Amino acid sequence: MLRPALAAAAIVAFVAVPVSAQTADEIIAKNLEAKGGADKLKAVQSIRLTGRMLIGPGVEAPIVLELKRPRSLRMDIAVQGMTITQAYDGTAGWMLNPMSGRTEPEELPSEAMKLVEEQADMDGPFVDYKEKGNTVELQGKEQVEGTDCYKLKVTLKSGDTRTYYIDAEHYLEVKQESRTNVRGSDMENDTIVGDWKEVDGLLFPFSIDSGQVGGQMRQKMTVEKIEINPAIEDSRFKMPVKK
Amino acid sequence: MRAATRLGAASVAAACLSVAASLAHAQGVAVDSDTFAGLEARAIGPATMSGRISAVAAVAGERLTIYAGAAGGGLWKSVDGGLVFKPVFDKYNQSIGAVAVDSSNPKHVWVGTGETWVRNSVSVGDGVYRSADAGDTWTRIGLERTERVSRILVHPKDGNTVYVCAAGALFSDSDDRGVYRTTDAGKTWEKVLYVAPDVGCADLAMAPDDPGVLYAGLWQFRRLPWFFTSGGPKSGLYRSKDGGSTWQRLTRDLPEGELGRIAVSTSPAKAGLVFATIEAEQTRLYRSDDGGESWEALSHSSAVTARPFYFSRLVADPKNVDRVYKMGFSAAVSDDGGRTFGAIGASGIFGPSYHGDVHDIWVNPANPEQLVIGTDGGVYISYNRGSTFRFVGSLSVSQYYHVSYDMEWPYNVYGGLQDNSTWYGPSRRGGGIANKHWHALTGGDGFWAFPDPEDPDVVYDEYQGGNLFRVRKSSLESKDIKPTPKAGEPRYRFNWNTPIHLSPNDPRTMYYGAQFLFRTRDKGESWERISPDLTTNDPDKQKQMNSGGLTLDNSTAENHCTIFAIEESPKDAQTIWVGTDDGNVQLTRDGGKTWTNVVGNVTGVPPHTWVSSIEAGHASAGTAYVTLDGHMTGDMKAYLFVTRDFGRTWTSLATPDVAGYAHVVKEDPVNPDLLFLGTEFGLWISVDGGRQWGQFKGNLPNVAVRDLAIHPRDHDLIVATHGRGLYVVDDITPLRSLTARVVESEVAFLPSRPSPMVMPTFEFGFNGDAEFVGASPAEAGVITYYLKKRHMFGDLKLEVYDGQGARLATIDGGKRRGINRVQWPMRSRAPRNAPGAGAISSIFSLLGPRVLPGTYTVRMIKGKEAFASTLTLVAEPGSRHTDADRVAQRDAVLKLFGMVERLAHLADALAAASAQARQTAGKLPDRNRLRGRLEALATELESQRKALVSEQRGEGISGEEKLREEIGTLYGNINGYEGRPTQSQLDRMAVLGGDLDAAMAKFDATFVKDAAALNTELARQKLPPITRMGWEEWDQSRSAFSLGADDGGPLARAEGRSPMADR
Repeated sequence: MLRPALAAAAIVAFVAVPVSAQTADEIIAKNLEAKGGADKLKAVQSIRLTGRMLIGPGVEAPIVLELKRPRSLRMDIAVQGMTITQAYDGTAGWMLNPMSGRTEPEELPSEAMKLVEEQADMDGPFVDYKEKGNTVELQGKEQVEGTDCYKLKVTLKSGDTRTYYIDAEHYLEVKQESRTNVRGSDMENDTIVGDWKEVDGLLFPFSIDSGQVGGQMRQKMTVEKIEINPAIEDSRFKMPVKK
Repeated sequence: MRAATRLGAASVAAACLSVAASLAHAQGVAVDSDTFAGLEARAIGPATMSGRISAVAAVAGERLTIYAGAAGGGLWKSVDGGLVFKPVFDKYNQSIGAVAVDSSNPKHVWVGTGETWVRNSVSVGDGVYRSADAGDTWTRIGLERTERVSRILVHPKDGNTVYVCAAGALFSDSDDRGVYRTTDAGKTWEKVLYVAPDVGCADLAMAPDDPGVLYAGLWQFRRLPWFFTSGGPKSGLYRSKDGGSTWQRLTRDLPEGELGRIAVSTSPAKAGLVFATIEAEQTRLYRSDDGGESWEALSHSSAVTARPFYFSRLVADPKNVDRVYKMGFSAAVSDDGGRTFGAIGASGIFGPSYHGDVHDIWVNPANPEQLVIGTDGGVYISYNRGSTFRFVGSLSVSQYYHVSYDMEWPYNVYGGLQDNSTWYGPSRRGGGIANKHWHALTGGDGFWAFPDPEDPDVVYDEYQGGNLFRVRKSSLESKDIKPTPKAGEPRYRFNWNTPIHLSPNDPRTMYYGAQFLFRTRDKGESWERISPDLTTNDPDKQKQMNSGGLTLDNSTAENHCTIFAIEESPKDAQTIWVGTDDGNVQLTRDGGKTWTNVVGNVTGVPPHTWVSSIEAGHASAGTAYVTLDGHMTGDMKAYLFVTRDFGRTWTSLATPDVAGYAHVVKEDPVNPDLLFLGTEFGLWISVDGGRQWGQFKGNLPNVAVRDLAIHPRDHDLIVATHGRGLYVVDDITPLRSLTARVVESEVAFLPSRPSPMVMPTFEFGFNGDAEFVGASPAEAGVITYYLKKRHMFGDLKLEVYDGQGARLATIDGGKRRGINRVQWPMRSRAPRNAPGAGAISSIFSLLGPRVLPGTYTVRMIKGKEAFASTLTLVAEPGSRHTDADRVAQRDAVLKLFGMVERLAHLADALAAASAQARQTAGKLPDRNRLRGRLEALATELESQRKALVSEQRGEGISGEEKLREEIGTLYGNINGYEGRPTQSQLDRMAVLGGDLDAAMAKFDATFVKDAAALNTELARQKLPPITRMGWEEWDQSRSAFSLGADDGGPLARAEGRSPMADR
């Protein structure tokens, strides 16, 4: 559950500021505060999420996601005893998919690189958004699944957009819509998050349900464990060299 | 505060466990849209016939963007040249009159709502909308009361200046019509051309070389339930030369007297060239080469004169001065400046390949070879100026009038559509319900259709004006079975949309209604008239033969003083209710011998208001619900009444929350407090007998809901929309228990129907993206619960347990306010495989074993609390397999599951021991004897492992099959079939089991012989022994999941949350 201090912060924030006076910056500030505070978030050097990913109806795969500053990322998913890996070391992205009969890692194609580079930003697009070249626009309030939310549209430097729905009571994300240009066409996805839990003074969603907008296939990730600042060797993010 | 029933105290058998908050403090929770949005309607199309498109617009470019405005299905957008269309207007009015893209900034899109092809079934708009982001978001910017918009023109150089041509109200006088102008992008509007309250703007054109020059066709028109008039002395063609500030009526060279609908188009190819079609005593095309000063009378071919109220779109070619397109029954073109017209796409006597009744066309200004047309049957695209066309199969905008079902498994749905015949198709289909799964029966406009309750191969259906048929699905053999007047009887008056009604009490009794009620008991071979004229028989409302105005138009659409609704009480076959289009509610309680008109007891409705539906109560013969619809006389209110005393007294159930005139009401057959109401603007639900209504918005736009049906076996609500095809709300059982008490609970499980255990199936085919595919229900057990508030913090998970208390699955639960539905694929976890060089070919090898039908316990973990309920799974209806077959299947699957995991254990143990031997050897000097033995052992273990799992790297298609692949494939093959495994499969399983035992024995022997001896020596040299990984150690390493351990990374541990309970 929420730590008392965090809960208090969220409640105070909610009560103290009239809803009508909210600006995008204020909502971002409250969102970061609700999650534990920008300073504390920025102090995190590495994160490891361990969980399960529902990759199809009834098809569940263990998943580990690791992030390390400044911009490293690695994801491993195990299917049929084989581990599929995708990683990025801040410069180069690669993947290894033994399901396709391969033992050699391959470089990521450019469209996948774009996403990996973005996901490697541990803080997300809100923190220091101006420095990152992102713009944020508050598009009013909207209901998401019956819950009042602030709608914040983030336009990334690339022109892609990430629209966040922040619930008006706790200032936490409920939903995110992303629009990403791939080979000239917009790919639209949405993600519903929930089951927020506190880990070392920070709040994280432990349920992440995403899929293509209007599509029937959803990918659900259930986080089992989050480790803050685990030791992760930089070599884990580097593309293995053929010996 | 929370009086939560903890799991320990819960009655596990309780199907519905309501965890009530203290009711004393409850503030009365609203049952609103969000309460039941989580039920999510399933759009099943069909898009195979698509539906009426009233307006098209496009943006030329390397990638063609197309906007298609549907008559009743909203605005759709394609960004890939017309392959995939997606709806972009679901939250707003679904009747589109006009679409315009700002040529100076294509992100600015304007939409005028309210179709102006004003047929009898046309909808009503609610103003003009603007998007500044190419359709992502919309703002209504005024003209809310214009009802119908024919055209929007955006100034080519100043996007803030926009003209709206508003046809206005169809059924009544109104000042909100004419030509409007804004110069500030819609902040303020100025009505710049207005003639009279019964005269609207039918078309508007701008001179391409001078945006200040405008031409407007003003149209006097009116529709009533029984008559349509196009034309009058106030119609006329107008011109403005000052951007709309002043207008001049053009008369020189143009016909005198009464004029009708006028279409006008300016040619971008030549300054001053204008075309117009003018409905008159002699409808014609006119051409002006001097900006409207003088006109030349040209073609009066049928392409020009046909049905002006329905076809009045004229489009001059963007480059060729002699070419102009005219929409009609077919799209026609003149290549000689308007002298002659010929249909495009026409080949032979059967006419063009595209659907007839063409309303709009877009000609690509950058490449005039490319055409996009909108018809009564969707959008078609041509790349050769109309010689050939491609149908767009992704626009699910079909316009249903009615829907019914059969009792097959899965059941089929039947219904008739505007200008699109009668169709049936499946309610579920593995891989989705595609266009190819639908079948057409009779032609024309379709309305009611019912399968024969005794023979699902036989369907009763009709086309407009009372043409009834008995059709065989298998052969399409069709027999005309409509009742015909006997000697001395008047002509029968059948409504456009004539009601067919099947008796709920006797499968051989069917009713059909003209002004009289008819009954057949021999499948339509003979009819018995069981009533006098039940209508007002008002001769003033029976002049459809003269309907149309300047152009005669008697399509049966104006047939009036007819029966429109028939309902036999499910409680009493002698009690029959009849509603008429001229406002009577007639009741017989003696099977038709005597009739009473009870509409006089209904108060608060103008007399002669059309009775749009009647629903006889399921619990009591004296109960009936009636909807009335006055929109065709300008009364847009929703009317819904109930009587509980055979029509003596009536109570209004419509509240101000309900928007749109009412088409249909249904009472739930199980819970009479649960009511469904379909209006022109959506579906409304009440769980308290009509006191409170909430709009159902779960994946259902604000579309006209014309009919509803509740499947009595599957408890699905089938929704027939007039613009977005059919929707299914699967299993409405949860709504039946959604009482005020339940909605005040923090958490409540809601009962569901038993989940049918459907095996997933796959239909081979790669059809690209250009077709709509309707959703089929997931092959899953469905758990339904209610949350008073969104769940935010801590877990919300559902655990499923078998009868022995073993946990089979843990599922991430929905968190939304209101009803949540969670799916469990009815399987425990998948086996853990040995690593190999490639995937195992059977897709079902990825899935866990399927459980048997039965009742399972569901436990909800919500934060620190837990709640319990049950989930019942039943065999798929009509399954050919016995319980014994299913047990045999499950036994084999569980054995193979064990083999897969034992093999995985063995392979991992071999690899681990081999690695240990290799590692220790590496610590010893090169020529050391022990090192040699260790390396030999490692090699032996490795070769044993390689004998078990595929090793060849073949880019996924090495074809190599070893024990891992063989066992895994056999597991998958048996796991994907519900019934008994074959003897061959069982024999093979025994052989593979023997091979696995032998491999394990070999490993044991190696350990006993070589490793034991080595370990003694290793111990002497203080080196670590070679160990054999035990089952528990392996089990932990796998459920504890080590990713990336091979490259020295840290061991990432995940809890093994879903143990294989059956082992």
